[in-house]
Amino acid sequence: MQALVGIDIEVKAGEFLSLIGPSGCGKTTLLKSIAGLQPVEAGRITIGARAVTGPGGAEASLVFQDFALLPWATALENAEFGLRLRGVPAAERAVAARRALAKVGLAGSFEQAYPSQLSGGMQQRVGLARALAVNPQVLLMDEPFASIDEQTRRILQDDLLRMWSEERKTVVLVTHSMEEAIYLSDRVVVLSPRPGKVHRVFEVPLPRPREALDVRASGEFARLVDELWRILKKMQ
Amino acid sequence: MKVALLRGASLVAFLALWQWAAWVPVSFNFPTPWATLAALAALLGSGALLQATATSLQSLVLGFGAAIAIGVPLGLAMGVARGFGRVVRVYIDLLIALPTAALIPLVILSFGISIAASAVIVFVFSAPFITMNAYGGVRDTRPRLVEMARTFGASWLQLFGRVVLPSALPMILAGMRLGLSRAFLGLIVAELLLSPFGLGKLIMNSRSMFEHDKMFATVLWTLILSGAALALLAKLEGRMLRWRA
Repeated sequence: MQALVGIDIEVKAGEFLSLIGPSGCGKTTLLKSIAGLQPVEAGRITIGARAVTGPGGAEASLVFQDFALLPWATALENAEFGLRLRGVPAAERAVAARRALAKVGLAGSFEQAYPSQLSGGMQQRVGLARALAVNPQVLLMDEPFASIDEQTRRILQDDLLRMWSEERKTVVLVTHSMEEAIYLSDRVVVLSPRPGKVHRVFEVPLPRPREALDVRASGEFARLVDELWRILKKMQ
Repeated sequence: MKVALLRGASLVAFLALWQWAAWVPVSFNFPTPWATLAALAALLGSGALLQATATSLQSLVLGFGAAIAIGVPLGLAMGVARGFGRVVRVYIDLLIALPTAALIPLVILSFGISIAASAVIVFVFSAPFITMNAYGGVRDTRPRLVEMARTFGASWLQLFGRVVLPSALPMILAGMRLGLSRAFLGLIVAELLLSPFGLGKLIMNSRSMFEHDKMFATVLWTLILSGAALALLAKLEGRMLRWRA
């Protein structure tokens, strides 16, 4: 059986899109296909004008749930990693990496720290900086905050939104959390499992900037989360 | 502080036991700690020990150097090319299991009685462990890190050099440490069983002359040598692996 069937989604430039669905719905497979890690048997994935044929394209970069940092490298070296693979000279990539680390709130002394010395939240910031440093068009995030405690998660979500409103990158985020999907996104794509299909596309008309307004406390937010839950519950 | 105290106490206990063994006596002409130290000083002073060490070190450096130069790349290749690895590991396991007594005649036949022969024994003792550790190090590479590097466009060469190799380094270094102690073992075995050179020759001679204090002194010296070499390697390892939690 195929993992995904009949997926026809258009993501607008600068949009924040979430993929949500029960286990086995193929949301991670879809994300990896956009990243070029998973070959597509039928159909096409294009980012801008370019079709995705394999990993390592300049168009998209990936942020991982378990951070995937190189344990033997410092935060700065990790942030530089994508640039280093592309042959960017040392001075230039240090500048770009530092800029990216500053964007995710890790400037200064953290540069020289090794992942083992950093908390989960800080490690993920490094992972995000690494993804941003290569200046992608699309940021792909695979349950990026799932391994992080809730307080830190909320802070990181707000920081993500703040960074996103400045950079206006296109973001595709896979999540299990309905609150996260509603809080962060412009649209939420609900996938149903076996085989993975688009079940619903959900608009989130909440005002922005959400990190500055008290969106989580609003009635509208609760209503949207509840509506999303009803949709997901029916699929269980 | 506590550790140093415990170590000191255990050393004192060991010396006391040794002294008691000589006093009982456990066997004919069993040397006391003091007699051993005195013999050690004499041997060092006369230059005999240092000369023997220089000779033995040739076999050690040759054999251990070859073990690293051949063992590490072989282990890496085994890890990268899985089929190759699965085939070769059988032979390496056999080599580890091979009894030394069976190995010696083979070596004498092929290399005669020479420093090269001792070096071969040193090699056979240490290379398999170095190889298997390098092999294991490559195999233990976190697949996630490889996936991450691929998303950033890493080529096969970059994957190997920037992810697999650094990832395998702790195990490679551990393999070298293990290989070094095995190398010393192989050295002494070679020099005792194969042919009297260097330190082995000193041990054999002092034994045949019933100069057991000299014999013990030479063994003690060998222990000091190998301990120092291992400590040096451990220090190097600590430097290279600073990033570990």
